[in-house]
Amino acid sequence: MNRLATSLLLFFIVTTCYGQPVQLAPPLLKYQSVFFRDTAAVELSFAQQGTSIHYTLNNQLPTEKDKIYTRPIRVDNLITTVKAITAGEGFLSSEVVAATFIKDGLKIISIQQTAANERFPGNGNNTLIDNEGGVADLNAKTWFGYQQDSVEINMLLEDRQKISSVLIHCLQDNGGWIFLPEHIQVFYFEEAKKSFQLVAEQWNPSKEIITGASCVPIIITLPKKIMARKIKIVLRGIQSLPEGHPGKGKPGWLFIDEIKLY
Amino acid sequence: MLYQPSFLFKEEPLLGHNNKRYKLNTHWSQADVAKNPVNDCHEMVQDSKGRIILLTNETKNNVIIYDKSGKLLTTWGSEYPGAHGLTLFNENGTEVLFICDNSRHQVIKTTMDGRVLMVLDYPKETGEYTKAEEYVPTETAITANGDIYVADGYGKDFIIHYDASGRYINHFGGRGNEPKHLLNAHGVCVDNRDKNKPCLLVTSRQQNAFKRYTFTGEYIDTIALPGAWVCRPVIKGDYLYAAVLQSNSNLWKQSGFVTILDQQYKVISNLGGSEPQYADGKLQELYQTIKYFQYPHDVCVDDEENLYIAQWNSGKVYPYKLSPVV
Repeated sequence: MNRLATSLLLFFIVTTCYGQPVQLAPPLLKYQSVFFRDTAAVELSFAQQGTSIHYTLNNQLPTEKDKIYTRPIRVDNLITTVKAITAGEGFLSSEVVAATFIKDGLKIISIQQTAANERFPGNGNNTLIDNEGGVADLNAKTWFGYQQDSVEINMLLEDRQKISSVLIHCLQDNGGWIFLPEHIQVFYFEEAKKSFQLVAEQWNPSKEIITGASCVPIIITLPKKIMARKIKIVLRGIQSLPEGHPGKGKPGWLFIDEIKLY
Repeated sequence: MLYQPSFLFKEEPLLGHNNKRYKLNTHWSQADVAKNPVNDCHEMVQDSKGRIILLTNETKNNVIIYDKSGKLLTTWGSEYPGAHGLTLFNENGTEVLFICDNSRHQVIKTTMDGRVLMVLDYPKETGEYTKAEEYVPTETAITANGDIYVADGYGKDFIIHYDASGRYINHFGGRGNEPKHLLNAHGVCVDNRDKNKPCLLVTSRQQNAFKRYTFTGEYIDTIALPGAWVCRPVIKGDYLYAAVLQSNSNLWKQSGFVTILDQQYKVISNLGGSEPQYADGKLQELYQTIKYFQYPHDVCVDDEENLYIAQWNSGKVYPYKLSPVV
């Protein structure tokens, strides 16, 4: 028998008898909120003998060669994404679990926004500036849920300050009819003109359906640094759910739990 | 036939913890998929002849009856498009089945070969329902005297109590913010392990808990199972078994497993799930660790302590069998 035939036979025997190894599930990534003031400790766990947790903090997908988790991870950067997997001999490594931890920004002393749907009223008027949230569960009390054309959010800082970026923290749960905002406009109040001026605009049409639920921080870097005390953000949710969704053509939901100004 | 030396076979995986460990056989069913397909495999029971009875919402054969080795013995039923709950009851020496049908909004009592004996329509006597569509029964439990408890787990989450003839007695549970209320009351069973204090055990799946009630519907307490979307409780001997549809930490990503509790409702083993851990007497969050299952929906425990796992929305797979390792 020649070498090719032998290899083919061996391949056949091995794939027939072994099949595909079973995959591990991702580790448990536990936190109260992804928002923090100065520093946060991120805990991972996986109660399964013979396995280990590996993680990265540099946005790269973790592999078995990455650092093994042994104790809570301290984060204190403005934005830190923890990505982790589990690995173990005889198993396929897990899918990645990830969460982005976000440090507090400029102090917003008051906020007013379009009233959320009564089913998803958040946790009072300050829901978007309370440093609570980041749980990818639409029933978590930290979310404002909207099902309307546009949502307006007005914020007031202590005094005029330099602002270079805006972070809007959203939920993406397409199975639950929740999509990211399709259109975002950022305005600042120009004292000299006594009116709001558009400073940044972002289009983000949802074309494909994403499985599972996740938190998505949308960061808008302003094209120019501005000095302002009043900021207004106008968000437009998805008006027509895309092809392939059970609610195709109907309006979707928009969920937000936090806003930061930097 | 090709020679397959034994060293080439992968060792069967061992699942579970403590004294509840099992070997998994994913090829237990010998049914021919071309002749006897399944859709969602919702629930399974064993009858006194030792046969394993599967309920699926595949109307080619709603009920598939196997022997314990996985050989298909017979099938029946094509009129249960929403076949979901399956309970076996020994009625004065004759076994009968109770089927909950989500689509028909009915509970149907049948003989073991499918002859209809009684149909319970939506319970307008409760005053809680105005039309059949509001009522989506998922499970029944039958007490020794024949009283019927129906869990409206995909409807309004009430437990509706009837006598053996189907006459409405009372109802309890329902939605709300008090401990006595339920959210996704997916299963119900009679727990008579403590002969002095038998009770009804009801699933509150989205609250990740079982709740205990008296037979007249007074709330007793809650058995919290953080992280676990538990389906119906299944009592066999001293233990309580339940399929966990999915883990809260990884929703709608085939993150199910099977959990086993002892007589004190303490989790002692998770099959494909995290090792149970208690801190200050409080159960820590449960979650899937190995993807042996996708969305387990029910556990059947046979007379030899083997488990059969029926799965929902899992690629139309037949049930798996787990054999205890002693």
